Amino acid sequence: MVLMLLFRNLALILGIFALLGQPALAATQPWEKLTPVQQQALSPLSKEWNTLSDDQQQRFLGLAKRYPHLTPLQKQRLHDRLERWSKLTPQQRKRAREKYQAFSKVPPETREQVKQMVRQQEAGITPASGVPPAAPAP
Amino acid sequence: MNQKFHPEQIRQLLNRSLSQIEQPTLERLREARTQALARYDAHNTAPAFAWAGNSSRPEHSANLRHKPYYYWVGAMLLVALLFSGATYWQHATTEQDISEVDIAILTDDLPMHVYVD
Repeated sequence: MVLMLLFRNLALILGIFALLGQPALAATQPWEKLTPVQQQALSPLSKEWNTLSDDQQQRFLGLAKRYPHLTPLQKQRLHDRLERWSKLTPQQRKRAREKYQAFSKVPPETREQVKQMVRQQEAGITPASGVPPAAPAP
Repeated sequence: MNQKFHPEQIRQLLNRSLSQIEQPTLERLREARTQALARYDAHNTAPAFAWAGNSSRPEHSANLRHKPYYYWVGAMLLVALLFSGATYWQHATTEQDISEVDIAILTDDLPMHVYVD
């Protein structure tokens, strides 16, 4: 009898689960509907915003929430990197997150050494590699 | 009326009274007792079956016939709500964690290509 009741109401139960099981029924938001702060935070994506998927938009809106708390330098970095970040594949972003999290667990001294090394490498990049030198010749 | 009876005396008085009751009355009493006992048995077994919609108590079966349905639907709704809440909470937490890492990568003093393959 219990099973019969369950089967009889299976569609209803599954419907309820399907409806309530969805954590976020977020629809895409057009660029024009974003708040001024969100638009400012995500300005590098203004042209392609309406082509992004729901998930991508939600992720970027999550970033925009933190934008007011960033320093001017961090805001500049965010704007410089946002467009390239949006063009990465989900797999690349996932891998980048994993790398960042792994690097965060490295002891601070070692981390600083690595950062120093990377900065030196960055400074050594020649114009032949496509990136202008840090201090152009007068 | 103020006389105090011993339990044994009460028993004897009742038995004596019983012997004075007429046969039809006795029959009716017996029948009533049988019915009461039957009802008592049904009452004791009903809860187990009532959940499955099988209550044999005529005075309650009409009430209980539809109750299990509501119980199950209510229970399912509750489970669905709990499941939904837990899923939503987990999703929100995961998204928050991802956003924190993303913003850290995008604002880190190390260039982004260090982390991107």
